[in-house]
Amino acid sequence: MTTETAETQPAPAGTRTPLMTAEGLTKYFPVRGGFPIKRTVGAVHAVDGLDFTVHEGESFGLVGESGCGKSTTGRLLARLLEPSGGTLTYRDRDITHASRRELAPIRSEIQMIFQDPYSSLNPRQTVGTIIGGPMEINGIRPPGGRAARVRELLETVGLNPEHYNRFPHEFSGGQRQRIGVARALALEPRLIVADEPVSALDVSIQAQVVNLLRKVQEELGIAFLFIAHDLAVVRHFSQRIAVMYLGKIVEVGDREAIHQRPRHPYTHALLSAVPEVALEHPDGTPAEPPRERIRLQGDVPSPTDPPSGCRFRTRCWKAQDLCAEQEPPLVRIEGNAEGHLTACHFPEAGTTLAADRPEPVLPAPVEP
Amino acid sequence: MQVDPAGGTEMSIATKPAEPALVGRSPGQLMWRRFRRDRIGVVSALVVAFFFLIGLLAPVISALYGKDPYTRYGQIQPGLLNEYGYPIKPNGGMDGEFWFGLEPSTGRDVFTELLYGIRTSLFIALAVTVLAVLTAIVLGIAAGYLGGVWDFLISRLTDLLMAFPQQLFFVAFLPITTSLFVDPREETPVWIKVVSIIVVLWALGWMTLGRILRGVTLSLREREFVEAAKVSGASPWRIIRKELLPNTVSPILVQATYMLPSFVTTAAALSFLGVGITEPTPDWGRMFATAAAVYRSDITYMFFPGVSLVIFVVAFNLLGDAVRDAFDPKTVR
Repeated sequence: MTTETAETQPAPAGTRTPLMTAEGLTKYFPVRGGFPIKRTVGAVHAVDGLDFTVHEGESFGLVGESGCGKSTTGRLLARLLEPSGGTLTYRDRDITHASRRELAPIRSEIQMIFQDPYSSLNPRQTVGTIIGGPMEINGIRPPGGRAARVRELLETVGLNPEHYNRFPHEFSGGQRQRIGVARALALEPRLIVADEPVSALDVSIQAQVVNLLRKVQEELGIAFLFIAHDLAVVRHFSQRIAVMYLGKIVEVGDREAIHQRPRHPYTHALLSAVPEVALEHPDGTPAEPPRERIRLQGDVPSPTDPPSGCRFRTRCWKAQDLCAEQEPPLVRIEGNAEGHLTACHFPEAGTTLAADRPEPVLPAPVEP
Repeated sequence: MQVDPAGGTEMSIATKPAEPALVGRSPGQLMWRRFRRDRIGVVSALVVAFFFLIGLLAPVISALYGKDPYTRYGQIQPGLLNEYGYPIKPNGGMDGEFWFGLEPSTGRDVFTELLYGIRTSLFIALAVTVLAVLTAIVLGIAAGYLGGVWDFLISRLTDLLMAFPQQLFFVAFLPITTSLFVDPREETPVWIKVVSIIVVLWALGWMTLGRILRGVTLSLREREFVEAAKVSGASPWRIIRKELLPNTVSPILVQATYMLPSFVTTAAALSFLGVGITEPTPDWGRMFATAAAVYRSDITYMFFPGVSLVIFVVAFNLLGDAVRDAFDPKTVR
């Protein structure tokens, strides 16, 4: 997978129109237990007060480790889940608690691409039925008929239109994901929530699908909420990136800001976890200065009982008493570029190079 | 043998244009193609079809054959039954006139009796199967898809009914059900007996499939293609109809093909015990009851209903397996 940055530059901040805005978006899943009568004994704080905006035609990346609430956020935006709190605004319309009927007019504008191409396609339906289904549900009759439109979509995503009557099981994982993309495109949406669309795919296929998504995004001007745990993929695809940790956004900013001048310790840790190919000059000197290496200790705390104050403090090497007492707000801290927000009391210097890191963060592992 | 590289490329070029010819086939065609390749399935389907056909055409066949299942030929025509009521001729009185012989003591024709018996049994079993499958679909999918209170209520009802001792329940409740329709002092019309057998078998016949469908629905509900349909704005009704039901076809079909022969045997058992279809209505199970009383002297009378029932049940079960394989697109034979 290539990590070169996309050629498209983010549009200047002033001209962007917000498409989907989340304010204080929250989702708690009740935990039920007890015997003999089950009652709610707690809640999983899957998503806890997110504020972000996806602009028209923009690809907004959401990264974080497993279980940090990325997918829940995606499903909240697609209104597959009911938010426990906060508001969701889609083009100046509050859709936080809109019912199925109220959502009907905008259903065609928000679509989703799923993680698992083996479970996201109905095994009993032909490709034609799968891709044509959304049009049928929304009563869309494209000129030339739905079948013609489906064949056109198949071509758009790089499949043979002759595959119209085939079943999903006759396709490989990458081809299935293309079918999923075609289904999402069928309604000509403005926003596509892509929930780890390439995580389940072979690395060689990942590049193809990401490039397909980029082509689609650039040519059709569709906004993406791109959820992934692979920073390289997100860097390739997204103009703006938000980093999530345990149900909260810890840092959000333009691709360059996040990758080159991250401020939040967790972002540093995430970036340092990206495998790096040590390129060398012919004389043996490294072509690029080595990046910092950070190994986080311990596990992610339980989302049923998140730590007080800053959620990252239990694993942060900079944590002080203040971090347990006060939750750091997500703000533009000193030295950040415009639109680059960080939620940290003691931000790192904006660099990812090992040479700039003054002291080794953790003792080196003991060799046996 | 020498491998000619040019020939190799020619081969691949030659096979290329064949690919667009892979015009997609409709799901029904695919299922039919897979089914036709299954020899056991085709043979059992023919056997089952044969049974349904003779059940359906019983009046026509017996008219052509010139007998009916009610006339006591042995008592009308002399020289057919001996003084103990058993057929005089060997093998239960089989001859050119009475192909399968005569019923001991009454002297009825076994061939027409069996035809009409198959007709009665298959009608009852088919009706019960259809009703039970519909009930199981409605309750099972409701429990699985709606969840919560509905799931609790339906599942507990299923547990309760499954805990019933079935045969005892049938024996105990058939007279009660019948008396709901008819005063016990009057003679019960045959159709009311049939209806009450159907009702009682139906009431305790749907739970297994209902549970299977609940489980299938529970697992399907969480699949991403259901979420995809929701994102497109599909109504719950459409999701059940278009996304869930097609995926439950194979358990339904397989279970139904196991249910139908088991209802045939259960109904036969009830007739055997004397609470089901009674004299003089021809019925598979009633023939067993008679046969059990006379088998020491006239085994032939048990042979024909017995063998035909075994063939029918085995063929139907094999058909069920074949249909399941045909419906599963992942089956490779």
